Amino acid sequence: MTTPALHLDRVRRVYGPVVAVDDVSLSVAKGEFVTLLGPSGSGKTSTLRLVGGFDQLDGGSIAINGERIDHLPAYQRDTATIFQSGALFPHKTVAENVAFGLRMRKVGTSEIADRVRQYLDIVRLGGFADRYPAQLSGGQKQRVALARSLAVRPAILLFDEPLSALDLSLRLQLRAEIKSLHDQLKFSAIYVTHDQGEAMAMSSRVAVMRNGAIEQIDTPTRIFHDPASEFVYTFIGESCCLRVNNAAQSLDLTLETPLLGEARLYVRPSRLRLGPDAASLPNRLKARVKFVEFLGDTNRYHLQAGDADLFADHAGEMSLAPGATVDLGWLTADMRVFR
Amino acid sequence: MSDALIRRSLEPTIFRVLTLAFSVFIVAYILIPILVTLVMSFNDATQIRFPIKVWSLKWYGDFFASPQWTEALFNSFTIAIGTALIATTSGVLAAWAFERYDFPLKSLLYVLIMMPLFMPGVVLGLGVAIAFGGVEIAGVDLYGSRGLVMIAHSLWAMPLVFMLMEATFRTIDNRVVEAAQDLGAPPVRTFFEVVIPMVSTGIISSVLFAFVISLNEFVMALFLTDRDTQTLPVLMWLSLRSAGTPRLAVASVILACTVFLCLTLIMLWYIRQLRKVAR
Repeated sequence: MTTPALHLDRVRRVYGPVVAVDDVSLSVAKGEFVTLLGPSGSGKTSTLRLVGGFDQLDGGSIAINGERIDHLPAYQRDTATIFQSGALFPHKTVAENVAFGLRMRKVGTSEIADRVRQYLDIVRLGGFADRYPAQLSGGQKQRVALARSLAVRPAILLFDEPLSALDLSLRLQLRAEIKSLHDQLKFSAIYVTHDQGEAMAMSSRVAVMRNGAIEQIDTPTRIFHDPASEFVYTFIGESCCLRVNNAAQSLDLTLETPLLGEARLYVRPSRLRLGPDAASLPNRLKARVKFVEFLGDTNRYHLQAGDADLFADHAGEMSLAPGATVDLGWLTADMRVFR
Repeated sequence: MSDALIRRSLEPTIFRVLTLAFSVFIVAYILIPILVTLVMSFNDATQIRFPIKVWSLKWYGDFFASPQWTEALFNSFTIAIGTALIATTSGVLAAWAFERYDFPLKSLLYVLIMMPLFMPGVVLGLGVAIAFGGVEIAGVDLYGSRGLVMIAHSLWAMPLVFMLMEATFRTIDNRVVEAAQDLGAPPVRTFFEVVIPMVSTGIISSVLFAFVISLNEFVMALFLTDRDTQTLPVLMWLSLRSAGTPRLAVASVILACTVFLCLTLIMLWYIRQLRKVAR
C-alpha cells in the first residue's frame, strides 16, 4: 500500500469542556479529494486548522507523506489553505500574491514568473496579474486564492468553505471549476463545507462529521444510498419523517411489511408518488394538502398526515386544492426506518 | 398670524443664529493664537506690539542668520527625529506583541506602558535628570545630551504610538496573517511583508505624531538640555524673559508650519491608501 498524502490518527482537540475534535482518524490518498461535511460546530473546520498548523493538537498525530508534522509550525508544513474570505494580501498585486509562496520556498526568479503565469492562466485570470485584490470580484478573488495555493504545489490543499461567501450561481460555477482542476492536476485535498450539494458533486469521498467525530466516511453515492445513521440520512438530503407507533396508530398507513413498536420512517420527497400513481405502490399513506409551491420543473406539495408535516415533489399537472385528501405511495427500497 | 405661529417660525431662526455664532467663536478661538503669531512674524518693529506699521521679512532673515537660533532648530529636529524612531519602533513592536501573544502580567504591563503619558512633564523631566545626572557612557556625559532628551520624549510618544497601533492591529484580518504563514513565511517575515504594509497609515501617523510630540515638548527639554543642546521652545522661553522680539513669532511660525506639514502628510498617505485598497 502506498503512503497516503495525509494521515490523521486519533486527532483530538479540546476547548475547555468542549471536545471540538474527538479522536478523528482519516487518510487521504494521493490525488484524492476528501470532503469534511457537517453542520456548524461539528468540528470540520477545527480539524482542518489542526492540519494547517493554526491550532495545537491535544492528542493523536498528523502525518504528511508518511512524516509526522504535528510538531511543526504552519510555515514549515507542506500545506496550502484556501480561506473562506480569500485572505489575499491587499497590498500586493494578483501576481505578487501568487508569487508569495514561491518566494518563501526560495524558487528561482524566472521559474516564479513562469509559474505565476501558468497558474493564473489555469484559473483564467491571465490578464489580471497587475490588479490589486480590491479591484476584483468575489469569484475572481477566490480564483486568485486558488492559484496562490496551487502554485506552491503543496502535498495537500486545504479548502476552508471557500465558496460559502459567494452567491449561488457563482458557487455552482466555481465548484465545477475546482472539480475540473482536480481532474486535470490530480492534487490531494481536504474540502470543508456544510453544503451537501458541494460535497456530493466534488468529492472522491465524503466524511460526515457530527459533534467532533466522523459519523460516516464513504463515496458520495454510498453515503447517499446507504447512510450509516439517521443523522447522515437527514443531513445529506431532504427527507420526510413519519413517526410510527403501532400501539396508537392515528395514520391511514399501509406498509408492505408492518413495523413493530416505535419507529421513524423516512422517504425522500422526490421518491414519493402522488394521487393515481400511488395506488399500485406497496406502501401508501393518506394525507391532506396544506399548500402548493411552484418550483419551476415541479410542484412541491406540502402535506399533513396525523401530526407529521410532509412534502412531495410532483412534475405533472394535478388539481389539488388545499384541504383535499391525496394518496401517497413509495417503494420499500426508497424507505428508511430508524428506531 | 397667531402668537404661537410667530414663535414657531422664530425659534429655529434664533437657534440657527446661535449655532452659527457659537461655531464662529470656536473657530476663532482655535485660530486666533496661530494667526496672531503669523501676522506678528512679519512685523518690522523690534517689539511684539500692535499695530504693525511696516511689514517685512526682516525677522525671518534675522532668525536664519543667528547661529544660536538655527542650532536650536537643528537640536529640535534631531531630537524629534530620534524620538520618532525610538517611539515608533518600540511602540509598534509592543502593540504587535500585545495583539498576538499572551504572556503573564499582560494587563499590569499595559498600565505600565500607558502610565508615563499621564505623568506631568516636570515629574518625568526631574526624574530623568536626577537618575542620569552624573552618568557617563564612554566618556560622554549623558546629562545634557540629545540622546537623553530623545529617550525622555519617547516616554510620552511611545504610549501614544502603542495606543494607536494597538487599535490599528486589531482591524487587520487574521486570516491574511495565517495565509502568509500557511504559504511558508516565518513570523518575522510575515510581520514585515504582510502586516506592516496593511498598517502603513498607522505607522506613518505614529512616526509623525511622535515627531510632533517631541518638537512641541518644553518642560522635559528645559530640565535635560544645556546651552549646546537646547531646543527651540527652550530658547524661546529663555529669550522671552529677556526681550520679546518678533524673532519669537518667527520661531513659533516655523514650529506651527512643521506641525501642519506633518498633519498634511498623514492625510495624503491616508487618501493614497484608501485609493489603493478600497478602490
